[in-house]
Amino acid sequence: MSQGKTGPVVGQRTIGGYLLSLLAWVVGLLFFFPVFWMVLSGFKTEPDANGPPKMFFEPTTEQFSEVTSATSGLLSAGQAFANSFWAVSVSTIAVMILAIPAAYSLSIKPIGKWKDVLFFFISTKFLPIVAAILPLWIIAKELGWLNTRIVLMVLYTAMNLPLAIWMLRSFFAEVPKELIEAAQIDGAKLWGQITSVILPIVAPGIAATALLCVIFAWNEFFLAVQLSPSSGGATVPIWVTGNVTSRGNFLAKLSAASTLATLPVIIAGWLAQKRMIRGLAMGAIK
Amino acid sequence: MSLYYSFTKWTVTPPTPRTWTGIGNYTDAFTNIFFRRAAVTSIVMTVTAVVLSVLLGTLIALLLDRKFFGQGFVRTLILTPFLIMPVVAGLVWKNQMFSAAFGVLNWVLNQVGIESIEFATKYPRWAIVGVLVWQWTPFMMLIILAGLQGQSSSVLEAAKVDGASPRATFFQITLPHLRPYIELGVLLGSIYLIQVFDHIFVMTGGGPQSTNIPLFVYQRSIGGGWRFGSASAFSIVVVVATIILATFGLRVLSGLLEGEEA
Amino acid sequence: MNNVKSTRSKPWLILMSVLAAFALIATACGSDAADVVGDAVDEASDAADEVVDEVTGDDDGDAMEEEGDAMEDDGDAMEDDGETKTIRVAAVNNGNVERMAELAPEYFTPDSGIEVEFTFLEEAALREITTRDVAAEGDQFDVVMIGMYETPQFGANGWLTGLNDFAAASDTYDIDDLIPAVRGGLSVDGELYSSPFYAESSFVMYRSDIIDNMPDAPTWEEVAAIAREVDTDEMAGICLRGKPGWGDLGAAFTTVLNTFGGTWWSANDDGSIGTSQVDQPEFAEALNFYVDLLNDAGEDDAANSSFNECKTLYEEGKVAMWYDATVAASLFPEDVVANTAFALAPTNVTEASGWLWAWTLAIPATAADPQAGFDFIDWATNAEYHELIAELDGWRAVPPGTRQSLYERPEYQEAASAFAQRTLDAMLAAPIDNPGTTPRPGLPGVQYVGVPEFQDTGARCTEEFSAAIAGTQSVEDALANCHAIASEYNG
Repeated sequence: MSQGKTGPVVGQRTIGGYLLSLLAWVVGLLFFFPVFWMVLSGFKTEPDANGPPKMFFEPTTEQFSEVTSATSGLLSAGQAFANSFWAVSVSTIAVMILAIPAAYSLSIKPIGKWKDVLFFFISTKFLPIVAAILPLWIIAKELGWLNTRIVLMVLYTAMNLPLAIWMLRSFFAEVPKELIEAAQIDGAKLWGQITSVILPIVAPGIAATALLCVIFAWNEFFLAVQLSPSSGGATVPIWVTGNVTSRGNFLAKLSAASTLATLPVIIAGWLAQKRMIRGLAMGAIK
Repeated sequence: MSLYYSFTKWTVTPPTPRTWTGIGNYTDAFTNIFFRRAAVTSIVMTVTAVVLSVLLGTLIALLLDRKFFGQGFVRTLILTPFLIMPVVAGLVWKNQMFSAAFGVLNWVLNQVGIESIEFATKYPRWAIVGVLVWQWTPFMMLIILAGLQGQSSSVLEAAKVDGASPRATFFQITLPHLRPYIELGVLLGSIYLIQVFDHIFVMTGGGPQSTNIPLFVYQRSIGGGWRFGSASAFSIVVVVATIILATFGLRVLSGLLEGEEA
Repeated sequence: MNNVKSTRSKPWLILMSVLAAFALIATACGSDAADVVGDAVDEASDAADEVVDEVTGDDDGDAMEEEGDAMEDDGDAMEDDGETKTIRVAAVNNGNVERMAELAPEYFTPDSGIEVEFTFLEEAALREITTRDVAAEGDQFDVVMIGMYETPQFGANGWLTGLNDFAAASDTYDIDDLIPAVRGGLSVDGELYSSPFYAESSFVMYRSDIIDNMPDAPTWEEVAAIAREVDTDEMAGICLRGKPGWGDLGAAFTTVLNTFGGTWWSANDDGSIGTSQVDQPEFAEALNFYVDLLNDAGEDDAANSSFNECKTLYEEGKVAMWYDATVAASLFPEDVVANTAFALAPTNVTEASGWLWAWTLAIPATAADPQAGFDFIDWATNAEYHELIAELDGWRAVPPGTRQSLYERPEYQEAASAFAQRTLDAMLAAPIDNPGTTPRPGLPGVQYVGVPEFQDTGARCTEEFSAAIAGTQSVEDALANCHAIASEYNG
């Protein structure tokens, strides 16, 4: 937190202030509780996790070692994480490369009716993806992309692009016009304007947008399972849901796997969160 | 391509040749009561989940937009549900939170002397909305928090100096400032929530109160119906309807907020 | 606001937005996304480094043409990886099958020279993917695991490779050893289209320490009376499937429906679907019976429970009785098995009512090397595999229900004494050819109707029934809605 940043809340050191802080903690813990429970379940045995709620039990790391142990012929954790890593990082970088210029042009130098145009594009995302899956599958088959990482890289790029453009546009719109004009008067070229003036200001916004793209791509399940279920392209969600079977719930194993699967995004969330807030405070100099 | 299929009668199994049926699939879409019911479920679920998560998200963002011990930690705690995979969220809530026999919620209720409630059975729609709100409030909170922190402190200082009450400051300065952020949250929330599928699939498996459009389309196509023609038509209807609704909704929302600004 | 500099930058900006916009349209149309976005990504990365001076219109044109070409080329994009002999297998993710996958590299590959690459999927996803793969010639898998519902349908459609000749040529695969009902359910006109990995029927499992008056072959009336009698706040009388899904509630309910004399559709003379029979009194009687029983003596959250939930409840002592798949017995921990007794699937007006299901391995008609596929199927489903499992994991762990020879082995009889005989009885009794009292359309089936339309009807009707179980709508409304759904397919 940077200096002197206050919200519209008064009396930080009064009793009311402490109560509000307490409330924030309570809300935070409530929201986190199911996640906490999930992590806890990852350390339970199957009967403990599937039975009545138990706070105290003999913790075991059995589930963690079981879900990470690799057996030949089966999708291993390492393989799934590698596939996810590539699909998510390549698609996120591609989204950013495409979305930053597009959002910039839409927000800073609007063309006519841009809002309607943009809205039309983003609303195309309303199409239930199940309806598009067969055409997608046929195309992927023709290209020989089924069960590869490529198909997911491409689709995740397409999937996150509207989101990224829309979000980035809002962040770009936050950039004070005067700053750009000042830069223009100083004779900065377009590229110079972007790199030296605008990007530093919107960097936190870009980080936040990229983080969202990462989260959505990381957790995406439907396209992955439909188009790339084999170990050549299977991602972490497929690995996690391997513990959902029609012959019993393996909640403890599922929890252990989910905990591992969620860790990367939680860490990413942590890092990007701080960056975003520091940067946004910096940007608030209108 | 989906658009093209939507004009055809195309069934994968039994394998039948694709035939052109014109708008037949579309008239079906409007007359089919099950489709209409799924549409109602979709709308109700999306709207309540978005509204609740935006409201809660705003409140929590306001709570967190203060300096207090462990602020960053609490923010991270709240953010976490958003990072959980939908399938996992659905299963954890169904089996470990809502379950009448083994759920934590009912365990708490029993401790205070209330009979177990079959949350996901008796109130399938609201149980699902609850999980959605749980997952999406953090997202709204994040966006709105970003908005709050992007607020110019000098303007707020000035308001304080002028003797504006906190309430007036909030409604006249903060809220209008937050408008684009709230809009963004509503829009993105609607886009993703109208597509909700995994939660419903694992929690209830569908039903008159919980089958939404994606689940309905799924059932008609790869989920067993294998009727891609009519499934595509249903989807196109959905897209057009959502565009209209969303445009309308956003205009209304903008109008409301502008009204407050004045 | 535009000064000289910003005007100069315009073409570039517009290009970028058009590209981005195009990618968005691509997503919308779904189909086009793949290659168009591919182009867009390539171009965008170039664009990032240098100013792109192409005219935007050309881009769109190219992309559209490419897309068109891709569509016309249907069929000749087959991949040819003949140099290494690897077969790809899609299978359901449960313990027995995954164990087989673990053993394959050590016990199958060295002898056969064939490597096996497995893809494990949850039941619903597997069904979506395998159906698409065999129906639309996806050519992604050399061997697919499909259910007993799909096998005869796919076989009759010509989507699968017949196995009779392969089986006859094999020294290790004894086709006559298969349990007759299972073999019958997997054959069309005498041709076997898939080989069962394991098979199951349904029966009643109950707590022998609580219930002592259960007949070996009970009627539903008797079962319902016992369930109501032993039902307490702490322990429900019976666990029955209530979760929507043609393979969940649909399976359990259809066995009840059959034995109550009801059916989903009447059959025309040629075996096609006649008219919906959901409005008949037998159907209403069966549904009312099912819903009432669950309301009076059923488990908590019945409308959201299926095999997994009931298994947990039974193992935790929350229900006294459970009517479900025979395979459950082989999954119980020892202490649960010790207190459990078994009875045949309850009946009403028919002689037998247990269902019949199998997960089976089949070869798509388009498979490049069906002999390699069959070599694998042979290894995974023959009697020698049973011995291999017995040797490594004990007899109880052998995939049950497929071969008579397994049930003739004294070792198996002893190891699985609690349920082996009951399972075999149930399998032999399963009324695969004549499950109800009236002729049904389509191919044989017990807990389903052997027509493709059943998946959709079953899925949506069970939603209605499940809501009736939950009490959020009346049985009458559920029946009326289901009748409307089933009538969509009237012939």
